[in-house]
Amino acid sequence: MPRLAHDSPAAGEVAPGQGLAVAAEALYLVNLLLLPGVGFLVLLALYLRNLRVAPPLAVCHLRQTLSASLWAGALLLVANVMILLLGGYHSPYTWMVVIIYFTTCHATLVLLGVMGLAKAMAGQCFRFPLVGRPV
Amino acid sequence: MKYQSQAVAKPYFVAAIILFVAQILFGLILGLQYVVGDFLFPEIPFNVARMVHTNALIVWLLFGFMGATYYLVPEEAETELYAPWLARLMFWIFLAAAGATVAGYLLVPYATLAEITMNNLFPTMGREFLEQPTITKIGIVIVALAFLFNVGMTVLKGRKTVVNLVLLLGLVGLAVFFLFSFYVPDNLVLDKFYWWWVVHLWVEGVWELILGAILAFVLIKVTGVDREVIEKWLYVIIALALVTGIIGTGHHFYWIGTPEYWQWWGSIFSALEPLPFFMMTVFAFNMINRRRRNHPNKVATLWAMGTAVMAFLGAGVWGFMHTLSPINYYTHGTQITAAHGHMAFYGAYVMIVLTIISYAMPTLRGRTAANSNTSQVLEMWSFWLMTVSMVFITLFLTGAGVLQAYLQRVSEAPESFMVVQEKIALFYWMREVAGVVFLIGLVLYILSFFIGNREPEAVLEPAG
Repeated sequence: MPRLAHDSPAAGEVAPGQGLAVAAEALYLVNLLLLPGVGFLVLLALYLRNLRVAPPLAVCHLRQTLSASLWAGALLLVANVMILLLGGYHSPYTWMVVIIYFTTCHATLVLLGVMGLAKAMAGQCFRFPLVGRPV
Repeated sequence: MKYQSQAVAKPYFVAAIILFVAQILFGLILGLQYVVGDFLFPEIPFNVARMVHTNALIVWLLFGFMGATYYLVPEEAETELYAPWLARLMFWIFLAAAGATVAGYLLVPYATLAEITMNNLFPTMGREFLEQPTITKIGIVIVALAFLFNVGMTVLKGRKTVVNLVLLLGLVGLAVFFLFSFYVPDNLVLDKFYWWWVVHLWVEGVWELILGAILAFVLIKVTGVDREVIEKWLYVIIALALVTGIIGTGHHFYWIGTPEYWQWWGSIFSALEPLPFFMMTVFAFNMINRRRRNHPNKVATLWAMGTAVMAFLGAGVWGFMHTLSPINYYTHGTQITAAHGHMAFYGAYVMIVLTIISYAMPTLRGRTAANSNTSQVLEMWSFWLMTVSMVFITLFLTGAGVLQAYLQRVSEAPESFMVVQEKIALFYWMREVAGVVFLIGLVLYILSFFIGNREPEAVLEPAG
């Protein structure tokens, strides 16, 4: 039976699909930290190419990271544009809200990615709280 | 407790916690003075309260690092401490020096303290965070030398592990860079330049090695993961910390009169400084996920995970926020710096000391591995209260800082410092409320040492 959920492989053992799971989480973080957009496109390509053939562990991480990336895009881009439009560019309070919102939201999304990456490296599935898909 | 001499750590931890309380009380006084300017004036002026707040922090963290070292070095080296009596003697000398210095700050004007302690013979006083009288600084050096001798001899006679060696490297660095506090050139640029060699190279350099070593030790113990795996992570983390942190000192040189190239060096290397903290978070969560046992001291594991997360947020994210030179041009010295300072110190260093205290204290107090469940639950409450309130303190200070930078520096019609301070007073009030919640968390933390002592300790479970 394929390994999934919270079973951790023994020391030195690599779970089926673990490499792909780590790659998915790493791309999620690359999208947030280094190459916004590019990281997402590569993740999307990885998702479309492997979803039907990959082991359950990899599928879990691919689905979660894709969902979380879409939410991240919405949270960081759409919400910020809305705030700027509603508050105007010339109000100090707008900038205060934008900076605090962006920093906390972005840092939270990165931390979730770190947890996902750690889970992937340990050969376990991970559901992103709020921005992930039900397992 | 495997070795009797580990017991010398206990008084260091107790002193650390007492000074922690003092630091927080003075923090609350300071917070109130921001909005009620004459609160406790002239008994405790703002500059004195600030000195006690920051100096108490530094000294209690040093007590914590020393206690951690005396606890973990014998266990890692698999031998008794070289000279336990020396550790006990140095404890009392350090405590007396710290107590006398704080009393001096509070009882006489700073200029009088400088006069009494004959600062004119060898002037070192008057610089932020290094306000201690020269005689106290000399005392710190003596304590540090005796401490390093004791620890070094223990490591030499015992097993050499990566954890011990990284810790020792960090401690030697701590002692060496403190020596720059004795170098006070007349040229103000040089004075600031070398002042940062103490302040920055401590907290964004060698202290990170100490943090990494203590975190690695606790993770080895609570997770049961192979030492080799943890050591490899530790190598990568400390290498990244040093590569980014040393030249990252440049982010303090932007506006003090140094050559322009520091704008580039400082920006590039300090932008990379979140990397070791990012790695540390992945490391901690990875080790917890790969754990081979469920250690009964759950609260120590919680502190260890909290350290990784909060250090990443405070030192990494909030540091990055204002580290690039073009941004720092506007934010330098605003409440954004205070926001970063609070969360970084709490996340990286306060929490790692509380982690090792949480791990070590049950054994130092005669238990096998952990406190009772009641005690641990109370400590977990204190963890969440202190951590969440620190997040809010940081957010309120960030809000204040952004407004301050905008109104005072970005706006087309910049307003004066004091006018802006009036406008951001609401944030200071909210910060003060969060500070009170932090104090409640700290009180619960202390209570956790006294509650549930008669109950049986939590038991070891196999990994699920």
